[in-house]
Amino acid sequence: MGNGKSTLMAGQKPTVFNNAIVRQQTISAYLFLLPAMVFFVGFVVIPMVMCLATSFFNYSMGKPFEFIGLNNYLEMFKDQVFLKSLRNTFVLVAVAVPTVTAFSLWVSCAIYQMHAIKRSFFRCVFYLPVVTGTVAVAVVWKWMFNKYTGLLNYILNATGILNENVSWLGDAKTALWCIILILFTTSIGQPIVLYVAALGNVDPSLIDAGQVDGATPFQVFWHIKWPQIMPTTLYILVITTINSFQCYALIQLLTSGGPDNSTSTIMYYIYYEAFKLYRYGYGNAMGVILAIIIALLSALQFKVTGSGATD
Amino acid sequence: MKKTLSLLLATGMVAGTLAGCGTTATSSSAAESTATSTAESTASATADSATADAGLAADITMWTYPIGKFKDAETVDGIVKSFQEKNPGVNIKVEYLDYTNGDDQVTSAIEANTTPDIIMEGPERLVSNWGAKGKMVDLSDLWTAEAKADINATSASIEAACKAADGAYYEYPLCMTTHCMAINKEMFEAADALQYINEDGTWTTENFGKALQALKDSGIDTTGVVYCGGQGGDQGTRALVNNLYSGKFTDDAHTAYTADSDANKKGLQQLVDWCGAGLLSFDTAAVASDELQLFANGTIAMTFCWNASNQATYAESVTFTPMPVAFPSDDGKPELCGGIWGFGVFNNGDDAKAAAAKAFIQYICDDATQGPASVQLTGFFPVRASYGDVYAGTEDEARMAAFSAYMQYLGDYYNVTPGWAEQRTAWWNMLQQIFTGTSVEDASATYAAACATAIEAAK
Repeated sequence: MGNGKSTLMAGQKPTVFNNAIVRQQTISAYLFLLPAMVFFVGFVVIPMVMCLATSFFNYSMGKPFEFIGLNNYLEMFKDQVFLKSLRNTFVLVAVAVPTVTAFSLWVSCAIYQMHAIKRSFFRCVFYLPVVTGTVAVAVVWKWMFNKYTGLLNYILNATGILNENVSWLGDAKTALWCIILILFTTSIGQPIVLYVAALGNVDPSLIDAGQVDGATPFQVFWHIKWPQIMPTTLYILVITTINSFQCYALIQLLTSGGPDNSTSTIMYYIYYEAFKLYRYGYGNAMGVILAIIIALLSALQFKVTGSGATD
Repeated sequence: MKKTLSLLLATGMVAGTLAGCGTTATSSSAAESTATSTAESTASATADSATADAGLAADITMWTYPIGKFKDAETVDGIVKSFQEKNPGVNIKVEYLDYTNGDDQVTSAIEANTTPDIIMEGPERLVSNWGAKGKMVDLSDLWTAEAKADINATSASIEAACKAADGAYYEYPLCMTTHCMAINKEMFEAADALQYINEDGTWTTENFGKALQALKDSGIDTTGVVYCGGQGGDQGTRALVNNLYSGKFTDDAHTAYTADSDANKKGLQQLVDWCGAGLLSFDTAAVASDELQLFANGTIAMTFCWNASNQATYAESVTFTPMPVAFPSDDGKPELCGGIWGFGVFNNGDDAKAAAAKAFIQYICDDATQGPASVQLTGFFPVRASYGDVYAGTEDEARMAAFSAYMQYLGDYYNVTPGWAEQRTAWWNMLQQIFTGTSVEDASATYAAACATAIEAAK
C-alpha cells in the first residue's frame, strides 16, 4: 500500500498519470482504513498512552493530581497483595495455558476425522461454555462447589471419598484450582474449533506419503501434522495466555479474590484498587506491568513456536 | 467508476463513524442507562400547569439503589408524575442500580462527568465516600431547624451520619432501620431452644451458646453459618462479633477501628470455638445472600443478615416462620447496626439542576402525603418522628411492629469512619483468616494495621 513502484508492470516507467493512479488508490485505501483506525486510536492507543502517563501520577478520586515519578511502581513491589496476585496469576497461566492447548489438541485429533454430524456435536459440546454468559457459568459452578448444598460435596460424600463437606471456593488450598478448572472449561471451546479446522487443512497427500513410507501414527503427527498446525498453535497459545492473564470476571463473581487473597489475580487487584479504592494511578501502573508481562511472554511464544512454523 | 464508488463508500463509512462520534454526548448517557438499569422511566412534563412552580425548569436524572420498592419503575414513575403535576418544568429520568455493579457505575460516571443529579443510598456512600471527595452538593438548606428537630427526635445519630467532617450535609435522609438476625421458629421450637430467647427478642451470649447446643442435640447439622465471602452483608457479622462481649466497632469519634479490642477478640475467639465444636459453621466462600438462601431453604436455623426488607423479600419463599431476634450480647442489651437511606445531589455545576433536584428530594421526603408514602415504599422506618407509625392500618402493620421493637437498640452509626471501603475488605480477610487457622490475635492485628493505613491514606 502506498508503494507506487509495486503497482507498475515490470519494465514500465513511472509517469505522471501512473503516479496519480497510485495516489488515488493510496488515498482510498487510507479512507477505507480510517473508520477502524478511529476506533483503534480512540479506544486502544489513546487509553494506553493515558494509562502509561497517569501511572506516574497520584491519580485518585478526591486527591490532587500530582506527579510522583516511579512511586506507584515502587509501592507495587512492596505490596504483599500485589505480589500474591502476581504469583496467583502466574500459577493460573502456567497451568491453564498448557492444559488448555494440550487438551484441545487431543480432542481435536480425536474428532476431526469423524463424520460431520458427530464432529459438529462435539464442537458444540465444547463450545457451549464459551457462548454461555460468564455470570451463568459462575452461578452453576458456584452451586456445584457450594459447601452445604453443592453437587461435588454430595457425590464425594456419597461415594465415601469425603466424610465432611469442603468449602471448595472458601479454602485457600482449593479455591485457585477451582477457578482454574472453570477457566479451563470456558477456554477450550475456541482452540478445539481452531484445531479441528487446522487439522482438516493438513495436506492428506503428505500423510499418505508418510504412511506409505512406514511412518507410525506418532511420527505422522509429529513430523507432518504438528508443523502444519504450528501457526494455529501459536495463535492459541497467545490468545489463551492473554485470556488467562486477564481472568477477572470469574474471580469477581465467585471469590472476590478470597479467601485471604488466595485467588486474587493482577486483573482483579487492578479492579479493586481502581474501582473500590479509587486509586487510578496505582491501578494503571499495575496495568502497565501486566501489559509488559503479556508482551514479553507473547514475544517468547512467537520466538519458540515461530521457528517451527517455517520448517 | 469503481474508484468513485470506492471513494463514496469510504466517505460514507467515515461519515457514519463521525456521526456516531458526534452523538456521543447524548448517546453515552443512553448507553450507560442500558448498562445501569434494569428498567428505566422517563416521565415527561405534563401540560397541566395549574399548580406549576414556574421557577423550576431542568432535566434531571436520579439513580437509585434497590431500596424497597424504589427499585420498581412503576412505583417511582408514580412519584415523579405527582411531583411534575406541581413542577411541570422539571423532567426526571430515573435509572436503577444494583448492589453488585452500582458502585462501579457511579465511579465510572464520576470520572466521565456523567453523574446523575440525584442518588439514593446511605451516608457511607453519599457522605463519607463521594461527599468527602468533593463530589456532592451541600444540602444544608434542606436541613431546616424544623427538619433537624423532627429527625433528631428519632435519633441524633441520623444527623451526625448525614453531616461530613467539613460541616456540610451531603445526605437528606428518608428512612432507617436496624439490622437484626432471624431464627427458624419451628426449628427452635422442636429443639426446645426458644426458651433461651427473651420475650422481647433479646438473648444473652450464654443462652445463645445453649441454644446452639440444643439445636445441635436435636439433630440439626448446620445451625448457622458465619459467612465471610465479602460483597455486602457485613453488618451482620460485625454486629455478631461486637455484641457477644459488648465490643465497639470504632471509637466514639469515628477515627479508628477497634476490632482488635479485647472484647472483640473475645467475641471472635468465641465464634472460632463454637465452629470448632461443631455448634456453628463458617464458610469463607459464602456471601450474605448465600447464607440467606440457606436460611430460606430451611437448611440452617438462623441468619445473621435480617431486616424488615429481607423479611418482605423472602416472605413468599419460606415455608417456616422467620422470627426476627436481636444479636446475643453478654449483658442482654444489644447494640444493633443501623441503616439510613436518603438522597444526595451530585455537584454537576448546574444550579438550576441542583435546585430542581433538591425540590424533588424535599417532595419525596417532606411532603405531608408523599413523605410517609415514600417511607412505606422503602419497607423501613421514617427518620422523621412526626410521621409516627406509617404502617398503621396497612397489611404490614404487624410485621413492621415486630421490627420497630428493635429500633430502641439502634447503636452508633459508625459507617462514616474514614477508610470504610478498605476496612470492609480487611474485615472479610480477617474472618477468613481466623476460620482457616490464623490466630485471632494475629488476624485482628493485621486488620487493625490495614485499617490504620486506610485511615491515614484518607486524610
